[in-house]
Amino acid sequence: MMDIFGVLNMGSKALMVQQKGIYVTGNNIANVNTPGYSRQRLNMASDVPINTGIGPVGSGVTANEIERVYQRFLGVQINNETQSLGQWQAHKDSLERVESIFNESGGYGLNQVMSEFWNAWQDLTNNPSGSVERTVLVAKSEMLAATFSQNYEDLQQIQRDIDANIEGAVEEINRLSENMVDLNQKIIQMEAGGHTANDYRDQRDLVLKELSELIDIDSFEDATGGVTVSVGSGQVLVEGTHSYNLSTQANASGLQDVTWLDSSNNPVIITGNISKGKLKGWLDARDVDINNSLNKLDTLAQRLMIEVNTLHASGYGLDGSTGNDFFTVATTAAGFQVNPLIANNTNRIAAAAGFNLVPGDKPGDNGNAIAIASLQQAQTMNGNTATFGTYYDSLVSDAGLAVQQATSYYDHQSQMVLQLENYRESISGVSIDEETVNLIKYQNAYQAAAKLISTADEMMETVLTMI
Amino acid sequence: MRVTQNITTSNFISYINQHAENLLKTQQQIASQKRINKSSDDPIGMGQVLGYRTNLAVTDQYQENIGQGMTRIEFNELTLDLASDLVDTSRELAAEYSGPTHSAAARQSVALQIKDLYDQVMQMANSKFNGNYIFSGHATNTAPFSHDADFNATYNGDDGKFQIMVSDGVEVNIVADGRKIFQNVANGGVNIFDELKNLIDGLENPDPVAGSAQIEATANVLQAGRDQINSRRSEYAPVLYRLQATDEYLTNLRPKVEEAMATLEQADITKAVVELQNLELAYETTIATAARIIQPSLLDFLR
Repeated sequence: MMDIFGVLNMGSKALMVQQKGIYVTGNNIANVNTPGYSRQRLNMASDVPINTGIGPVGSGVTANEIERVYQRFLGVQINNETQSLGQWQAHKDSLERVESIFNESGGYGLNQVMSEFWNAWQDLTNNPSGSVERTVLVAKSEMLAATFSQNYEDLQQIQRDIDANIEGAVEEINRLSENMVDLNQKIIQMEAGGHTANDYRDQRDLVLKELSELIDIDSFEDATGGVTVSVGSGQVLVEGTHSYNLSTQANASGLQDVTWLDSSNNPVIITGNISKGKLKGWLDARDVDINNSLNKLDTLAQRLMIEVNTLHASGYGLDGSTGNDFFTVATTAAGFQVNPLIANNTNRIAAAAGFNLVPGDKPGDNGNAIAIASLQQAQTMNGNTATFGTYYDSLVSDAGLAVQQATSYYDHQSQMVLQLENYRESISGVSIDEETVNLIKYQNAYQAAAKLISTADEMMETVLTMI
Repeated sequence: MRVTQNITTSNFISYINQHAENLLKTQQQIASQKRINKSSDDPIGMGQVLGYRTNLAVTDQYQENIGQGMTRIEFNELTLDLASDLVDTSRELAAEYSGPTHSAAARQSVALQIKDLYDQVMQMANSKFNGNYIFSGHATNTAPFSHDADFNATYNGDDGKFQIMVSDGVEVNIVADGRKIFQNVANGGVNIFDELKNLIDGLENPDPVAGSAQIEATANVLQAGRDQINSRRSEYAPVLYRLQATDEYLTNLRPKVEEAMATLEQADITKAVVELQNLELAYETTIATAARIIQPSLLDFLR
């Protein structure tokens, strides 16, 4: 109706719609710094026109829906790249700790200690019967053994710390899954009424992203709006409004495996199926890099122990003793120590290669000490291609190289995620300037609508005064 | 592209972090004077640096060994010098008292003198260095020579050689077998102690004619004995020369290794400082521009 009431009606609808606009703008401004928030937009349309004698005439404005400005595939891409980012971050952090164990830049590491050990043997060759030289040799050997076992134990400590991280991450994943179930429920309920649950969807996307940082996930949304998330080799973590838990259990080597608990709480080991996320980074560092370092350290310690022991046992001490091991045989580098027999009586150090009449009658014989000191230059490692020293040096290089590689992957990945986040922000982020403009736009429209009402009012008064 | 405040701030934070990290790294290089502060700074370089370090440590040790070896040779040399002088004095006395004209009393007094010389030579042969006998082979805790009341000397040591490690897999031998110096009978040489005993026996022989013949016989042999000691001494010369040459080689090698290591490990301070200035500039301009971009919004311009 193109009468005065029609104008009044149109004015009041416009007031309400513009007010909604201001409300939506206000919500955007309020959430400018909310993580994961996507800006919202009020979709307006002209209301259904009315047919009149002069054709259809518009009947004002109507608010259709509040829309979330969002690009779905960008979200998926960000999640995928975040999985890699988490992986390299965890990997890099763990490897940096390994590197710090082999930190030789200050010159107080195993390299130095090994040099001092061999030099102590050479000192003994200069005075094979000297008690000072013998005492110093025992001290340097104990230092070498202690450094070996210290390094070994430090590496194992990192493995244990990683286990603690893994356990923490598993708990975090369980918490996030529950969160996800909660949000799924709210979204399904709300969207059953036909409206989009904008804010809950934003929150759920954020949870999905946090999950992605920890573990590689596959997710899809079903028709009701609920999201299904699976991990490992298709083990379901969240299925609509139901979640399954992850857990950990110690494996044969005493380290934690990640398990998925089925509906009757039976654990399924999924350690080998985790391919991304922080969990993967930690598992790789623990089971590949650190294990390699441990093995190499062990190989080095065992070889050194065997070579020195074999020669030492063939020589003679000042007291005529022979056949003594210099280092006690240990299963790992952690148990590396100087034979207490020798530590307690340095006369048992077998510097002499032989004897004249009775063992021990050649105190000036340094033949065996020379043979042992010469082991420093002997190609004993890596299938007789490396000395003890060069083998260890390559171990240090490897640790550095691993960090360098992980860092470059991490840097690349974090740049990529930053780019994608910026891209997402450029689509979904709130711009204060834009919202300010919108605010003014809605305010002006509101003022104009009010003017419309007061005009209609005046018109009405004019009509009334005519009576 | 639609730019929001959050893009500006997150970019700003990311760049500031990058600049700060680079600044820290450069500052660390300047403070430690080292280009490689962690093995990840240059893994290959770190491996090489460690190799050089081992190299330097073992070079120091070889030089230490050589130093001790040279002292030992000089000590041996000095001892044998004295011993050869003593043998020469005995020879002179033998030559002087070889005729039958000397009185029994005079010969007796010379005999006492020779006994004293005998003891002195033995004392030289039983010299100790650093608490160890130097001429008893490997039996360094046993005095190499001893004699009975009749001046019959016995060797108690063995034929061991003193070995010095001078470089990788290379040992230098120093003769420590006292027999080769004082009782080299096995190799057709002279038994100096026996010869001195003969001299004493001759001087103490109550028959002046027979005694004189005995004395005369020793003079030439003692001459040969002195030569025997000196020829052993001369054998030390090439060893000493070799030690000196090796020492010199290692002394010359050291700065080269140090230089190679420094090139690898040391920070180029000039370069680092210039880099620091560049980074500072980048850091400061980033902050300054960010301060101008972040602050204003449309609100500042609305009344």
